[in-house]
Amino acid sequence: MAEEKDIVELREKLARAAQLLLYKHHMQPGAKAWELKRALGRDYEQILKLLNAEFDKLGLQVKRVSEGEASSDSDRYYATLRGHPRVTEARTFGWRIDDMAMLTVALAHILSKQGKAPLKEVERMLEEKFPRWRIESTLDRFIRRGYLSEDDEGLLYVGWRARAEIDQRTLLGLLLGKEEKPSEAEAEPKVETAKVEETQED
Amino acid sequence: MPGERQELMLRIIDLCDMVRKRGIDPFDVEVREFFDRLRELLPNLKKHEELYLDIQAVLGLADVVFQQGEWIKHKSSMLYLDPLLIMLKLHALPARELADVFARSWHPIVQLETLSPHGIAEAKQYWTNLPSLEERWRGLDTTEVFTGEIARRELARMGILSEEDFAAVLDRTWRDLKEAAGERGEISYWDFIHVRSFEKTVERAWLVSFLVSYGYATLELKPLEEEILLKPLPKPRELERVATFSVPIAISRDEWLRRRKGG
Repeated sequence: MAEEKDIVELREKLARAAQLLLYKHHMQPGAKAWELKRALGRDYEQILKLLNAEFDKLGLQVKRVSEGEASSDSDRYYATLRGHPRVTEARTFGWRIDDMAMLTVALAHILSKQGKAPLKEVERMLEEKFPRWRIESTLDRFIRRGYLSEDDEGLLYVGWRARAEIDQRTLLGLLLGKEEKPSEAEAEPKVETAKVEETQED
Repeated sequence: MPGERQELMLRIIDLCDMVRKRGIDPFDVEVREFFDRLRELLPNLKKHEELYLDIQAVLGLADVVFQQGEWIKHKSSMLYLDPLLIMLKLHALPARELADVFARSWHPIVQLETLSPHGIAEAKQYWTNLPSLEERWRGLDTTEVFTGEIARRELARMGILSEEDFAAVLDRTWRDLKEAAGERGEISYWDFIHVRSFEKTVERAWLVSFLVSYGYATLELKPLEEEILLKPLPKPRELERVATFSVPIAISRDEWLRRRKGG
């Protein structure tokens, strides 16, 4: 009888965790560690592990993003796609090829410069491939949506959304591994393997 | 001598600032040497202003040491890749390939929009204060018009739609201007815009304003002669590097008639 009660309680907690992660209830999606601890109890990490296993069946995953190096109560958990969309699928999400390319250039440049780069420098790089009038508005949009962030001194950083959604190591790896002429044989390699440590599976 | 002291401290502050803001390699700064120089200077510093600069310089150098630590951490991390190599790749790859790199490292957040209690309260208040449809439509005298079809040529005739692309019209005007300016490379503004109908004159003046704004031509004002000269440029000029200003030019029907009579 007690066991049955435990299972019901666990199911309720799983449902609550899924609601907290999936429904947007603040300006940003996902939920902070302290919110999950308050709603699910001290063993919230175990609940998230179980939720991650459930999400796995749907091609989703629970992802933790820390502000600093050590984990803290302000870490944020998100539900993200486990795999990655194809370029053609991403276009149906409302992304243009140029937008994706611009974000790749901006992020790769920032990451290669120790996580920060002057906005002007990024704009100059983009000007080599894209019209100037599109660059400003696109960068503004990336900042508004959280892919990039900008400080008062005009420095660009990797934004909260990019930290949650983009596997930075894979991005740089793929960039360096890319042949200058696209080959058709290149299809679905190594993307998923490199990023296990940030998900709940580890 | 005090000038030299200040200059050195300002130079250190500026250098430290550049490391922080422009991402210059912090190991390029000779921290130890600068600290030694500051130590030598310290006994001679008397004014508050100099002491303040000394503090700023020391804080700047301390920040550089911090940046050096961060630099080492970054270089030893898995994310460190030669910036030059990355830059070369970014230059070489076409947009489609760059987009592919993004898509393959992208795991979009899954989220559902939902109403918060605050949002529900706001919606309730809006609904309560919203007048009925009948009330809102009262006083609006409308007649029902059925939709129909109209040809593109008809819209152009009515002046709603242009038959030509704007860029093409602008390009044509630029060519006309170059031709009209001839070898002199300039023509009176009024001579150029003046055509047989007043409407066409205004249209030409409007197009000229775009030519000047976009850097395809320049205007030279001669206030004493009361003349405005229009000079087409062989290539569009980048306006960012040029100081620009606006020139309002009024074109009235009377003015147009006067110039027409005057020949």
